[in-house]
Amino acid sequence: MIKTSAITKTVNTTQGELSILKPISFEVKAGESIAIVGASGSGKSTLLSLLAGLDEVSSGEIYLDGQSLHSMNEEQRAQLRGAKVGFIFQSFMLVQSLTALENIILPAEIAGLADAKQRGQDILEKVGLGHRGDHYPNQLSGGEQQRVAIARAFITKPKILFADEPTGNLDAANSDKVERLLFDLNRDSHTTLVLVTHDSELAKHCERQLLMTAGELSDITPSNKTPDINVPVPTIQSQVG
Amino acid sequence: MTKQTFNLAWRLFKHEAKRGELTIILLAIILSVSSVLSLSLFSERLQSALTAKSAEFIAADRVLNSRKPVDVSWITKAQEFGLNTAHQVYTRSMAFSGDNMMLVDLRAAAEGYPLKGAVKVADQPFAPGQATSALPQAGHAWIESRLFQNLGLAIGQYIDVGDKTFVVSKVLSEVPDAGFSVFGGDPKVLIAEADLAETNIIGPGSRASFSYFFTGSEADLNNYYDWLLPQLDNELQSWVSVSDDDSAIGRSIAKAEQYFLLASLLAIVLAAVSIAVAAQRYSQRHYDPVAIMKTLGASKSMVQQVYLLQITFITLLGIAIGTVLGFVIQQVVVWALAGSVDVSLDVWFWRPLLIAIFTGAICAVLFSLYPLLKLFSVSPLRVLRRDLGASLSSRFIQFFASGGAIFSLMWAYSGNLGLSAILFGSGILLVISLLLVTFGLIWLGRKLGQGKMGAWQLAWARIRRRAMDNAIQLISFAVTIMLLLIVLVMRNDMIAQWQNQLPQGTPNYFLVNITQQQLPDLKTHFAEENVDIEHFYPVVRGRFVAINDEKVSTAVSKEDEEAGQRQGREGLGREANLTWSNTLQHENTIVAGQWFDTNDPLASGLYGVSVEARIAERLNIQLGDKLTFNVGSEIINTEVSSLREVDWQTMQPNFFFVIQPQAMQGYLPTYLSSFYLDKSRKAEITELMKPFASVTLFDVDARIEQLRDIVKQVSLAVEFILVLVLAAGALVLIAQVQASMDERQQELAILRTLGAKGRLIRASVLFEFIIIGSVAGLMAAFANEISLFFLQSQVFEMQAALHWQYWFIAPVAGALVVGILGMIGCWRLLRLNTSHLLRQMV
Repeated sequence: MIKTSAITKTVNTTQGELSILKPISFEVKAGESIAIVGASGSGKSTLLSLLAGLDEVSSGEIYLDGQSLHSMNEEQRAQLRGAKVGFIFQSFMLVQSLTALENIILPAEIAGLADAKQRGQDILEKVGLGHRGDHYPNQLSGGEQQRVAIARAFITKPKILFADEPTGNLDAANSDKVERLLFDLNRDSHTTLVLVTHDSELAKHCERQLLMTAGELSDITPSNKTPDINVPVPTIQSQVG
Repeated sequence: MTKQTFNLAWRLFKHEAKRGELTIILLAIILSVSSVLSLSLFSERLQSALTAKSAEFIAADRVLNSRKPVDVSWITKAQEFGLNTAHQVYTRSMAFSGDNMMLVDLRAAAEGYPLKGAVKVADQPFAPGQATSALPQAGHAWIESRLFQNLGLAIGQYIDVGDKTFVVSKVLSEVPDAGFSVFGGDPKVLIAEADLAETNIIGPGSRASFSYFFTGSEADLNNYYDWLLPQLDNELQSWVSVSDDDSAIGRSIAKAEQYFLLASLLAIVLAAVSIAVAAQRYSQRHYDPVAIMKTLGASKSMVQQVYLLQITFITLLGIAIGTVLGFVIQQVVVWALAGSVDVSLDVWFWRPLLIAIFTGAICAVLFSLYPLLKLFSVSPLRVLRRDLGASLSSRFIQFFASGGAIFSLMWAYSGNLGLSAILFGSGILLVISLLLVTFGLIWLGRKLGQGKMGAWQLAWARIRRRAMDNAIQLISFAVTIMLLLIVLVMRNDMIAQWQNQLPQGTPNYFLVNITQQQLPDLKTHFAEENVDIEHFYPVVRGRFVAINDEKVSTAVSKEDEEAGQRQGREGLGREANLTWSNTLQHENTIVAGQWFDTNDPLASGLYGVSVEARIAERLNIQLGDKLTFNVGSEIINTEVSSLREVDWQTMQPNFFFVIQPQAMQGYLPTYLSSFYLDKSRKAEITELMKPFASVTLFDVDARIEQLRDIVKQVSLAVEFILVLVLAAGALVLIAQVQASMDERQQELAILRTLGAKGRLIRASVLFEFIIIGSVAGLMAAFANEISLFFLQSQVFEMQAALHWQYWFIAPVAGALVVGILGMIGCWRLLRLNTSHLLRQMV
């Protein structure tokens, strides 16, 4: 589903060129979940931005579902994101002036899906916020906002989901809920998940773990790895998919 | 555009409007549309009312004056063009009553006269007149009060004019086209035009003039004039319109019109500034949604469509609300001023509406263009890197686009390149000075803001760190304050000038023909009756006959004009009142040469004469020229020793020629004077003048009242416009502070989180705003001075003066207003708890 070949990222600073990512090559299979872990500033968010087509590589190649992301312009990358990619961010990134439901259906509308509203209603129920559809983000708790963001990420049934520190802004109880929801939905919809986190506990739930250290990536997955969390959240049952 | 895009834009617009996200930009558009609409609608209506009023002074919209009757086809043609017509014949003739006789200004009016204004009549001499729509019947004459006095007449008695006897049936108090000259006229006698022929006074060689009055729509009048122009003989005929009115009223109205225009232009600039500020804020607040949409797969064109649609919705809503509000404001003001300002609400003017809509749309589009372009350039990467802003950044494009837009709007609206260039030029100067000052201040702040981190140091630190943002904020504050200052100072200067023309106690009666023998008795009598008379001017009537021994003529032939030659120079064309004095009248100013300071003749052996500057210019009289006057059979030669500027609008006796007293020894003058008599004592006037039957009394009360009335109306209108512009300015300031508060929110949240006390934060914000407000005020005072100098000297033809008080008032007021607004904004933020503050930033 994702294939990178010697991708690098360098930026120009007043002190000269700074290399953020050393040549990185790896592959993620369809339906696989991987966690990229590492300390702050190690380059994991940069890698995510390149994989998701939010930024351009300095060199190397990236293929997303067989399409060469590295040779696309911004418009083509946006199109690809709209068609195949879902996102979850640490800071939720909800549009403050849209309600929870409207935030959820935003990607479906951008993709021009006719049944956007119905899909939105369904998935809102699945994330347990059916009664909060008319609320604005600032009327929701952090955990609720992230659940809205998760629902938004899944509404277009993306092939790949990128999650950047999805529980980074949440307390323990909410983190737990969000984790379960994320992995359940991911499993049910057979989405390829790329999770960036510095939380090794969260990373353990993924099938593979990659460690980013000073711009270099290494596989640290223990052998015969099985995801820890596979207990469905009662409210979502198995309706996704 | 897809339905989804439209729906998304509409939904965003709806929610954001409901949540108050669009309030500032919406308010800015509403403000621009409503202020421009109410200002221009009101001024257009007021102008039309004032023009109508001033049309009364020529008794029509246009007048064709001719020295001989015009072809009747000219009048029929005017009627074909849809104009109303009337005419009147003027001549001077002797009126007799028994043994008494007097030269009168005879007016024979045809039916329809006056087309504008009204003839006023009374039943008793010097009694207040009442308007009448009638004209004298055949065989009747209406005569002025002083003719009753001079000829010893009473109502019902007879006068003879030429071969016809008339019964005096009314006192003629006022005719609309009397003109403003106090001494120029003989007493007026109004008769029916049909009676004129029987008097037999109009014949070959008689000096009659024929006035043809026209009223109608501007278009019809102009079309008729276009038809008439090729047939006019400049020697015989002249075409007069209200705008040719050079009287005090005409000038006041012209100045007021310019003021309205200026105020409207400034309102447009204010509106533009507020929209620019609001659009900037709007753009910044939408960086996140744009980044999110792009991340979720929205194409650039979809993002563009969504936000262009939003701006369109906001603009349309702003224009709709602004139009209604502007109309209501204007209506309320017209109602409030009802009694004082006679503005008709019947006419609906489309131009102001179109201008207002155009302004709202252009401002919204042009001023949001750059912020929108910036918005479109926001990278989707912002979802991961929150510090990423817009990638497009060009202050040059911004200044060029906004500056160009403001200038084109001003020029398009005013049609006055000079006025627009002056305002725009001083704005640019202000911007450049402000940039220099801001950076100077920041340099200075490095020294002032050193030491332990208190509120003062925090304030300086913020100013220093946000140098460019502060410079822009400072500029927008200063421009706003400057615009308000211009409108305020112009209003003060203009109203003061108008009021100075006619202060309380302005003489409302003039006495002419006081003989030397009557003088002591008259002085005593007036003193006994408690009527103050300050000054008596000796007067002899003389004819101005030559300049440098070259005879002056009254007429200049067309051919000579074309050939650039003149046979004989232009003269006054009538007798002049010559006076003499060693003292310069206080409202006169010497503009060239010197006032007579000795009793000796000049070097040439001639005595001096001081000539009024405008007549000197008209007759091409220079300092040192020899002027010859003919008084009776005597010749008086004088040399021009000074030129004087005279304010003819003061209703004081004034003279074209003031001669050195030694030159006039031996001439027996009559005296002329003026005095003020309170309205309540009007009834005493007949008694007061009884012992001096031969002295002519002019009652100019009605004229002064007319002048005061107009000045009052115009002043009130100016006051209203000032209030409106001030309100607009205040809103702009609030918008600016509001916008800057958003930028400060993050910093306040951090300071708060770090445990800074509310007092420290408030004090630091207060200091920062006080510094910005006072510097903006100081700069505004500076730019105001420059703008006013050019405006007053070049556009308003006023004496430009420095306004030192504003160099103090503007910084203090700027510091106060900006400081208080800043505090209010800060107080609002500090009321929120820290987590709410932080959450708002997400």
